[in-house]
Amino acid sequence: MHQSSLLLTVPNTLDSMFLAKIEVGHHLYWQLGNLKLHGQVFLTSWVVIAILVVASLAATRNIQRIPSGLQNLMEYALEFVRDLAKNQIGEKEYRPWVPFVGTLFLFIFLSNWSGALVPWRLIRLPEGELAAPTNDINTTVALALLTSLAYFYAGFSKRGLGYFAKYIEPTPILLPIAILEDFTKPLSLSFRLFGNILADELVVAVLVLLVPLFVPLPIMALGLFTSAIQALVFATLAAAYIHEAIEGHGGEEHESHS
Amino acid sequence: MFDFDATLPLMAIQFLLLAALLNVVFYKPLGQAIDQRADYIRTTKVEARERLDKAERLAKQYEQDLAETRRQSQAIVAEAQAEAQKKAAQQIAEVQQEAQAQLQQAQKELEQQKQEAFRSLESQVDTLSHQILEKLVGSQMV
Repeated sequence: MHQSSLLLTVPNTLDSMFLAKIEVGHHLYWQLGNLKLHGQVFLTSWVVIAILVVASLAATRNIQRIPSGLQNLMEYALEFVRDLAKNQIGEKEYRPWVPFVGTLFLFIFLSNWSGALVPWRLIRLPEGELAAPTNDINTTVALALLTSLAYFYAGFSKRGLGYFAKYIEPTPILLPIAILEDFTKPLSLSFRLFGNILADELVVAVLVLLVPLFVPLPIMALGLFTSAIQALVFATLAAAYIHEAIEGHGGEEHESHS
Repeated sequence: MFDFDATLPLMAIQFLLLAALLNVVFYKPLGQAIDQRADYIRTTKVEARERLDKAERLAKQYEQDLAETRRQSQAIVAEAQAEAQKKAAQQIAEVQQEAQAQLQQAQKELEQQKQEAFRSLESQVDTLSHQILEKLVGSQMV
């Protein structure tokens, strides 16, 4: 499957325009023991991680009461993800989940934007191409599965075995649907992100192939917008799932709230 | 496109490591900074409000004191005026009385002197009429 270049195989005459070449399913394979890795995903994700870590270190190196510069920016980011977690999980429980939800948002956001803004293609790899890490299904599924684990952990640590009550909470008739939900949640999370980012890159690539100048710019701007929205959606949904696991479907706690 | 391999678990581990690392270098220190700032702002605000309350209380008290003092001063002025008026009235009455007394005495003296004058005049009239009679009638007739 990974050798199929979709329908959009570039004609040989355009091969010189390597900037416009579309490659889907080609990977730079790394061999680790007898495990195969997608090297280009790790390379770009390391860049993203490095940006995050360096920005954090630079912002917290000299913390001032009146923030300025990078500290201000990072505080804005932190307050943003804090508010996101607080709105979804609730004032009482959100604090331990800020690192997880916040890292989800920041990592996905930076990954998406790195795919849209950094001209990775100028760096030529032996095989495959550098792109947003979220462009690879492995990354998005990994994040989605982590989200599933996170909300299971949240549910069990908060309510113990009572967490299972949520499966039969309104009525046991919905038990199959409740179980199905646990599978559809990571599936939808991962495919939404993967699909959006890949589709965005493909649309831009196709447009660049057809009209190399100026015309793809609005689509690229739209791509930046969708990338940001997708990061927000992923983090918000993850926080919402965690909240659901903590509070339960229409449990007494929840009813006493509303 | 959908080829899953060891990228998936390694990416998950890498993500968890990133979350842990960012927790140490980003979320904790900056979160603390934000919380401390919020605390600082809250305490400063409470303090400022207390000070404002105190200042307002003091201002009110000063105003009350001022009003009280003004009332007292007005009372004192009024009292002093009343006293002065009373005194003046009394003095005027006294002076009037004295004047009356002097007037009466003067009238009395005048009356006395008049009486005296009349009396002396009467005696003079007597002698004069006697003399006139002597002159007219002669001394042998008398």
